[in-house]
Amino acid sequence: MRTEPTLATLLVSVAGGDRGALRSVYDRQSVRLFGVANAILRDRDAAADALQDAFLRVSERAGQFDASRGEASAWLAGIVRHAALDLARKRGRELPSDDPALGDIPVAPEALEAVAATAEGRRLRDCLAALDEKNRRGILLAFVHGLSHAQVAARLELPLGTVKAWIRRGLLQLRECLA
Amino acid sequence: MIPTDPQEREALAGEYVLGTLDARLAAEVAAALPSNIALREVVAAWEARLAPLTALAAPEAPPPDLWRKIEAALPGAAPDEAPEPRPGFGARWGRLWQGWAIGASAVAAGLAGFILLQPDPPPRLMTVLLTSGDQPAWVVEAQRGGALRLASLNPQPVDADRVLQLWALPQGATAPTSLGLIPAAGEVTVTPETLRPQPGMLIEISLEPPGGSTTGRPTGPVLFIGRLSAAGNS
Repeated sequence: MRTEPTLATLLVSVAGGDRGALRSVYDRQSVRLFGVANAILRDRDAAADALQDAFLRVSERAGQFDASRGEASAWLAGIVRHAALDLARKRGRELPSDDPALGDIPVAPEALEAVAATAEGRRLRDCLAALDEKNRRGILLAFVHGLSHAQVAARLELPLGTVKAWIRRGLLQLRECLA
Repeated sequence: MIPTDPQEREALAGEYVLGTLDARLAAEVAAALPSNIALREVVAAWEARLAPLTALAAPEAPPPDLWRKIEAALPGAAPDEAPEPRPGFGARWGRLWQGWAIGASAVAAGLAGFILLQPDPPPRLMTVLLTSGDQPAWVVEAQRGGALRLASLNPQPVDADRVLQLWALPQGATAPTSLGLIPAAGEVTVTPETLRPQPGMLIEISLEPPGGSTTGRPTGPVLFIGRLSAAGNS
């Protein structure tokens, strides 16, 4: 929209110590990023802590963002996901989750259409669609809701070892498909 | 130990990005990233590959005071901008653990917010926010858990140096409560911290400078406004 600086440009300014640029990144991205953290933590207080952590990391590491490796929005989401996952691990994520409804939304057949907004997303959607059903569900539950192997295993009613092996195989299959 | 075998390293990086590594291994990978170029490359490739999946998380507005806390926590923050005392860190962690204990119901409530169609719900509160020219601009629907779900109908671009701020004014109240900043278009869920949606509550969106109003009230024009009411039972 008009002369708005790109996120990548803003990150360059953040790396130079420009706090106003960090603020602009927050204004533009915090709703999306808070959603990403809250999907993993499912607790608004914790998600706020994770987002705070993430923005402190962004202010420290903006200089490491490399536009040749990917989109700024993806880089930001990665930082937020890892901050949220770190917090989930501290909370004892390794307990299996027994909520029967957990994760129904991202694995719904129509959900993948939301992924297909970009060319990369469409390729990813097609490659995910080529995976075995439980394999795909395991990957989506882990990525979107931050479920551990044990939680995915409980959710899909599969042995833990099977889930670990399937997810690993699924990831390598995805990589080949996207190559 | 970070594997040197390319296949093993690839698999480890994929699982790191996916998030399934346990705390110890994840910390080991994170610690190795700054110095291990090969690892950093494969991790960056995995981040880029899986990034489109973040679209599966429903956008949600953060608490309105979060930026202030972030700003106060940044290195070199002015001392007079230190945050007012908030619940002690210990108390916070206590809450987190407690949170896990009551997790089943909390998770269920959170997920209910994602589900659009529910059989036979209690009377739902909703409204359509109108422009000053009475054009519909946003649909607002109260969720069971007290959250508001907003969807833009006819998005108009907002100047790069302006943001949209959402407000609620309960009937009888004299001042609106900020519900935080929202994007100019799309769908967003906002969870008010201090009030619950009620019939007759005014919902408005004002145009504000970056970061939103600093006065606790709308400072820019109110662009869109509507009043929550029960949706007709059909």
